Amino acid sequence: MKNIEQDLKKAEELLTGWNREASHPETNRLDIVVTVDDLRPAVTALHDAKWGYLSAITGLDLGVEAGQMEALYHFCNGPAITTLRIRQPRGDVSRLPTIEDIIPPATFFEREMHEMLGFHFTGARSSDRLFISDDWPEGVYPMRADFKVEQAQAVEDRRADEMPEEGVIGGNTFVVPIGPQHPALKEPGHFEFTVDGEVVTAARMRLGYAHRGIEKAAESRNWIQNLYLFERVCGICSHVHTMAYAMGVEKLAQVEVPMRAQAIRQIVAGLERLHSHLLWLGVAAHEAGFDTLFMYSWRDRETVMNLLEQVTGNRVNYSANVLGGVKCDIGLEQARLIKEGLNFLETRIRHYLEVVTTDAMFLNRTRNVGTITYDEAERFGLLGPTARASGLVRDVRIEAPYGAYSQFPISAVTETNGDLEARCVVRLNELLVSCFAIRTLLDNLPDGPLTTRMPRKIPAGETISRVEAPRGELFYYIKSAGGETPARVHVRTPSLCNWVSVLEKAVGRQLADVPMLIAGMDPCFSCNDRLVTVAQPAGRRTWSWKELREYGIEYYK
Amino acid sequence: MNIDHDPLWVKVAKKVRTWARLNSLWAVHFNSGSCNGCDIEILATLTPRYDVERFGIKLEGSPRHADVLIVTGPVTRQARERLIRTYEQMPEPKFVISVGSCSISGGVFEGCYNVGGAVDEVIPVDVFIPGCPPRPEAIVDGIIQLITHLEKGNPPPSQSKQAAEKAPA
Repeated sequence: MKNIEQDLKKAEELLTGWNREASHPETNRLDIVVTVDDLRPAVTALHDAKWGYLSAITGLDLGVEAGQMEALYHFCNGPAITTLRIRQPRGDVSRLPTIEDIIPPATFFEREMHEMLGFHFTGARSSDRLFISDDWPEGVYPMRADFKVEQAQAVEDRRADEMPEEGVIGGNTFVVPIGPQHPALKEPGHFEFTVDGEVVTAARMRLGYAHRGIEKAAESRNWIQNLYLFERVCGICSHVHTMAYAMGVEKLAQVEVPMRAQAIRQIVAGLERLHSHLLWLGVAAHEAGFDTLFMYSWRDRETVMNLLEQVTGNRVNYSANVLGGVKCDIGLEQARLIKEGLNFLETRIRHYLEVVTTDAMFLNRTRNVGTITYDEAERFGLLGPTARASGLVRDVRIEAPYGAYSQFPISAVTETNGDLEARCVVRLNELLVSCFAIRTLLDNLPDGPLTTRMPRKIPAGETISRVEAPRGELFYYIKSAGGETPARVHVRTPSLCNWVSVLEKAVGRQLADVPMLIAGMDPCFSCNDRLVTVAQPAGRRTWSWKELREYGIEYYK
Repeated sequence: MNIDHDPLWVKVAKKVRTWARLNSLWAVHFNSGSCNGCDIEILATLTPRYDVERFGIKLEGSPRHADVLIVTGPVTRQARERLIRTYEQMPEPKFVISVGSCSISGGVFEGCYNVGGAVDEVIPVDVFIPGCPPRPEAIVDGIIQLITHLEKGNPPPSQSKQAAEKAPA
């Protein structure tokens, strides 16, 4: 605890010149109000002193009557969080200076703020749409308090055709669009890679194909309904989403969750990590043309799915969490089954570790490909296993232990090479750690009730809840106005931070590496339908993703 | 005499075509805004435990080579046009399977500003597989239902439904 105080004190010292109003909403948080002009120097001060990293930017609309909007810049340093709060009048005059030149990943946060709330960022490089659809009218912002669905009548597409009419930009340069459907990402995304011959010279991306408007929907549903809504942000890491949400709400309600419930949450989270990483291993192997490994790892993944079904009753959206605890218990028989499953999985994981580090063909596609150094990882603001493969320990479970992790700590897994091979090794080693952690938890499962009573109305306040998802830090900002529904829930998923690295790392690489690069950064199977157009001097040629993958495999033969 | 008009030939050709089609349904998968839960379950049906390849089903990357379009998720504004385009690129005869509660009704995302609604409001759907997400067994069952329906020589359900609507009362 002393550490947190020291860190927060240091942050306060760093920000002395710009500090208009400081408060401590929670013991681990420092909230500082700064003016618009002071934002850049304040951010620079924190950044230069390496005080944590920018975790998210939350935009708040305080409503028409208040006539104000707020932008919250959250910096996380271990468990300590410093929030820079900026108040701006509502309307078109809400201008903020961009900080993307100081902190590159802020680009995505700023674009999200612009599209959702209508903040204008002066000096920002790009104003392309990232989340909302092409036919969305200008000047309508869905997260504003007075937004009505009728306002969002479709207008003509800003970009009539997804594919560039002429791929040829000039000379030997061509644009290769990939998507909108894409295999290695959670959301279907659209990428455009500009290539000169074989080498990628520029990369662009467009998201929003799976943008559903969950944050807005959350404001009109009650606290319990939202639990099931946030479970469906992502089907692969559904448990950690509800965990982050539930932990935040419990903090607001000042409810202590029983230790047994916390341990069970952790066990399910560990099993979820097992299924998620095994799924990823299969996908990565598939992209490298190693379908045997794909089939084997997915066969073994069914063992985890069985265990998850044993414990929670569901295979994918487990609904293991309820506000104030968990809904399912783990008995002796279940514990035995889980341990049996883990025994089998451990031998398999050790086998896969051997495969990914010794198979010559696989190594050809992974060793020294897409290498990210420690400094780059820090600069791009990478999270999760992608950061840990470069030696950067970004793991909420270790940095800011929550729930049962404070009693049952886990050991950090890192690699130093930062290439695709290191990312495979980190993820597999993490699974061994998870297996060990689950066993420890099962052996020392505390006795006690599974739930506590939760109030129907949550007291007013705001809180931040961070959980380590399989792909990195998951960030929830929850604000309550004291009612039956939340006033604002802001979700920042780990993938949003890791995309920067795909775009930066693709430049200068061969086109054949692109599938592996994307798969290696943040993989989540989304779909198998995509078209790739490769423009060639002789004319256009349409390639399916499969053909591109085969081309990649052929290239590396 | 043109062989195409020979009734016996037409009958035999139809039989051979149906036989071939039913043993090699190629599917293209489109995520129109799903949370990924259905998508991983669809993939699970292709992997060793559920193994739909034993029915000749293969996941194909290009819609131009596919017979079946498997759609997951509520149709988001941005995905809508792309869904229609993918459907139009498929050669006839084509079948659509809509997987998951939200592709059937919008599910938990009903009423969200960026969600257009069900898949069958955009393209005709032959088989609905409910569940959030449906189990792999349910997905296999849905595919088998389509196969058995076609095996009997019936037109695809979506077409028969349209035909029923168009028929004079």
